[in-house]
Amino acid sequence: MSGTTPNGAPPGASDLPQEMKGRQQSSSKMAYMAVIAVVVIVVIIVLAGWQLGWFKSNSSTPATASCPAPVSLTGAGSTFVFPLMYQWYTTYTGSTVNYESVGSGTGISDISAKTVDFGASDAPLTPAQKTNASGILQMPESAGAVAIIFNLPNVNFAAGKSLNVNGSVLAQIFLGTIMNWNNTPLQTLNPGLTLPIDPISVQHRSDGSGTTYAFTQFLSSASTQWATQVGYSTTVNWPVGTGDKGSSGIAGAVETTQYSIAYVDLNYALNNEIHFAAVENPTGAFILPSVNDTASAIADSKDSTNLPLGTGNWSGVDVENAPGAKDYPIATFTYLMFYQNPYAAYGSSYTLQKAENLVNFLNWTIHAGQSYSEGLYYVTLPSSVVAADVVTLDSMNYNGAAIPQAACG
Amino acid sequence: MAFDRVARRRWKSHLFAGLTLLCVVAALIPLTSIVWTAFDRGAPALSVGFFTQPLPAPCGSAQTHCSYGGVGPYIEGTLVLIALSSLIAIPIGVLIGIYLSEYGRRGIGRVISFFTDVLTGVPSIVVGIFVYTLTLDYILKTGGNPENVYSALSGATALAIIMLPIVARTTEEALRAVPDSVREAALALGIPKHRTTLRIVLTAALPAVLTGALLGVMRVGGEAAPLLFTAFNNPLGYTGVTQPAGALPTMIYNLYQTPYANWQADAWASALVLVLIMVILSVASQIVFTRVRRRISGGQ
Amino acid sequence: MGIAPNVGMNPFPGEDAGVPAGPPPHSPVPQLEATPRRERIGRWFNSIFRLLVTVLGFGILALAALFIIVLAQGAWPSLLKFGPNFLSTSTWDPVHSIFGVVPFVIGTLLTSAIALLIAVPVSLGVAIFLTEQSPTWLSGPLGLVVQLLAAVPSVVYGFWGFIVLVPYMRLSVEPGLQGSVGKVPGLGGVFGGTPVGTDILTSSVILAIMIIPTISSVCRDSLLAVPRHQREAALSLGATKWETTNFAVLRYASSGIIGAIILGLGRALGETMAVTMTIGNADVIPKSLFSQGQTIASLIANEFTSAGPGSIYQGAIIEAALVLFAITILVNVIARLLVGRVLRVEGGS
Repeated sequence: MSGTTPNGAPPGASDLPQEMKGRQQSSSKMAYMAVIAVVVIVVIIVLAGWQLGWFKSNSSTPATASCPAPVSLTGAGSTFVFPLMYQWYTTYTGSTVNYESVGSGTGISDISAKTVDFGASDAPLTPAQKTNASGILQMPESAGAVAIIFNLPNVNFAAGKSLNVNGSVLAQIFLGTIMNWNNTPLQTLNPGLTLPIDPISVQHRSDGSGTTYAFTQFLSSASTQWATQVGYSTTVNWPVGTGDKGSSGIAGAVETTQYSIAYVDLNYALNNEIHFAAVENPTGAFILPSVNDTASAIADSKDSTNLPLGTGNWSGVDVENAPGAKDYPIATFTYLMFYQNPYAAYGSSYTLQKAENLVNFLNWTIHAGQSYSEGLYYVTLPSSVVAADVVTLDSMNYNGAAIPQAACG
Repeated sequence: MAFDRVARRRWKSHLFAGLTLLCVVAALIPLTSIVWTAFDRGAPALSVGFFTQPLPAPCGSAQTHCSYGGVGPYIEGTLVLIALSSLIAIPIGVLIGIYLSEYGRRGIGRVISFFTDVLTGVPSIVVGIFVYTLTLDYILKTGGNPENVYSALSGATALAIIMLPIVARTTEEALRAVPDSVREAALALGIPKHRTTLRIVLTAALPAVLTGALLGVMRVGGEAAPLLFTAFNNPLGYTGVTQPAGALPTMIYNLYQTPYANWQADAWASALVLVLIMVILSVASQIVFTRVRRRISGGQ
Repeated sequence: MGIAPNVGMNPFPGEDAGVPAGPPPHSPVPQLEATPRRERIGRWFNSIFRLLVTVLGFGILALAALFIIVLAQGAWPSLLKFGPNFLSTSTWDPVHSIFGVVPFVIGTLLTSAIALLIAVPVSLGVAIFLTEQSPTWLSGPLGLVVQLLAAVPSVVYGFWGFIVLVPYMRLSVEPGLQGSVGKVPGLGGVFGGTPVGTDILTSSVILAIMIIPTISSVCRDSLLAVPRHQREAALSLGATKWETTNFAVLRYASSGIIGAIILGLGRALGETMAVTMTIGNADVIPKSLFSQGQTIASLIANEFTSAGPGSIYQGAIIEAALVLFAITILVNVIARLLVGRVLRVEGGS
């Protein structure tokens, strides 16, 4: 809200006369009066609001605010986001950033223990974790998709075609109830293919991972048996299969294991040109994942226009199974976590200058930083999500006072 | 008959000699394979720029030109961490080894020796969590800034804790291998026990003590897991004892997990560099050792 | 010390190792001849030194105690919730918060045992070759090369294991074992299942490779410390080289060999990264050598960084670390008894 009002008001006012002119000529005088009245009222409200500090957080947003002297910021967490983060902090000159890719859970631990300035996690905070770290904010800073990869020797696909799968069949494969490639439900989805009789070798992540979170969330919504027996989390109790550490472990296992199937983040699959399956979306279309289709899927998903506040509960946010005809169904956010009021969280040793450095860097990642996503095969945040992030950043304060923001670096 | 038995015994002896040779060959196969794999996969990264340039941007299949580099600061960080942890662990470890062998051969000394063995079985990641927890507790109790929990010093402490039991136990074994007659002879000459221990027993066992110290150094030089929680990361390598520090193993671990070809090559090449550092450390310590030894015997 | 040129490897400066080295040359005895004052200072230093090493020695106990306290503190939520059931439950389900450590205890013991079975004979062989068989010019460099295996970071062992060893095990070793030893009645179960390469056996092999340098270099130093007259006596009685090694040398060095094996065992029990990459990480009780499994150390490496702070889940992982500590104590007791007995029997026969 506060981010758009001051800029939004003048255009809104200038639109009005055109609309009015299109109506009856006779009442034009009244219309002009009304317009002037509206403009006057809006100006008064804006000025009064300015005076009362309504727009305090964005009154400092304009680039007129000067950049603070750079300080060193530390962050820790997600290994998935590390390459993008690296690109960000080596490009950004406003602060020196030191990021350690230790894993999402440790990122959450670290930000809860206040040993870092920001944490990064591929899964949102659970309500318990939120209570544990009072005053914490979270915002999506990038997004990803989960690709289904497989190794089917001697099966030839037509150009632009791949193996077709859907949530229900995937759930049965990962539950161990579909054990062979030519099992009926799987064969039915692939009428043109002769699938082998060989047993399916299921591979999954062994380490806790946001990819597992998104994939099991997808399976849970597709299969009630999965939802009740296994559920979704960053690590689950897998009914069948071999666990491999990291995306590199998964990719390597599928590459060398015939008749295997696994899930991996799209980023990894695209960068290594690994062949992936087409997944059925709610409209019944089989979609091969791409970075752009994932971005549009997130923009289309019903939760993306209804995102919680930075202080809110994100654990129920579901951007999967978007309704668009071309939307890829297994999408997910990755998050940055930081404190709304660094002064209150870290104490007086946390200077305003450092807080400015932090908010400027975070702001940069969701604006200029997004332009680096596509080249590295990360999903660029849709504008609705960026807008929600801006609200979150604007809500930050330093011991009650707004933190001046500036576009630095 | 007797001749037959002798022949059989001799034959058995030869067979046995052959078997031991086979063991050496078996032990060398994996090493060869590892070095070859690292060389093969790291080859694109091996150039002057690898040591002088900063870590390049990740290079995905979308990019056409990939560059390599970034190992320089991490070599520095690793060397400093090894040096700091050795400074802590080797003297203390050797002294504990002396206690176990010379002063604590029975009773509580056996118990301590036993727990030293137990400590070698603690996973390195747990040592990292342990040091992190204690440091954070200490900082919180003294009202310090929690962000100071990550430092080269706490990384070195974690490594030292991993190294300590290895050094202590190998020292103990090395000293125990010195025959008691040596100690008795020295004591009979009226040399005090501490001098006997330090000047005679320890000197005699020094080569084996050095083996233990090197085993410890090699073990911790390749550790990534404990450093994730303690030394953290630092793209500049080492910038001070109280600052976070970067190290080669964590760099290898981080880069290998990413999907980018240039970073993966960097990881393999760094592994090669790390092994090379260990070789240099071993050989250098050996040279220093023989020189010191020669000077001692030169006075004879 | 393996790295030494052979001359430097004899721990005794004198050529005849059987005769004590005598006081080093720079501390001539007369200098120490007691004046009362000197004697007093000497005694004073003596007690100071004794106190110093004793205090440091007790530091090990303090360290072990501190470990237990810190781990127990972290494990508290889980200790409270599950109590002794943690030790008898074989389900590990983070989603439904059901945690039991049985599969990992079995995985840990199994992999370490197999690793020792492979590594101990090979390491002894290496040590014996270096000290008893090899020409002197070769043993120094060769010792260095074997020790280099200890210099390879465990992360690299993991990557190498995953891309080189795992496919090799899956395609050659495991089908081979299944087709030969697996056919022996009664052993079919042990070698049962589809060989996938990432399993108990592969991770045991990689553990064995990792502990060979530790065991072999400590063993070699023990063998080197065996006085030469020990060998000469056996040879002069007409013993062959093998008999000399077996009866005179190994027996004499048995304490050092046990120490070496226990050092290797410690490393095997606690190794994380290399195991994680090769064991298949299934939270179930392995049914055969070709089953996927999980050790306590690999469990911690896999899941600690994803478990949120202060949760039951994190508590359970830390409690698993505590269980590993207990296992290490237990296994060390058993190993000392067992290895001691084996060596005594072998030496005495």
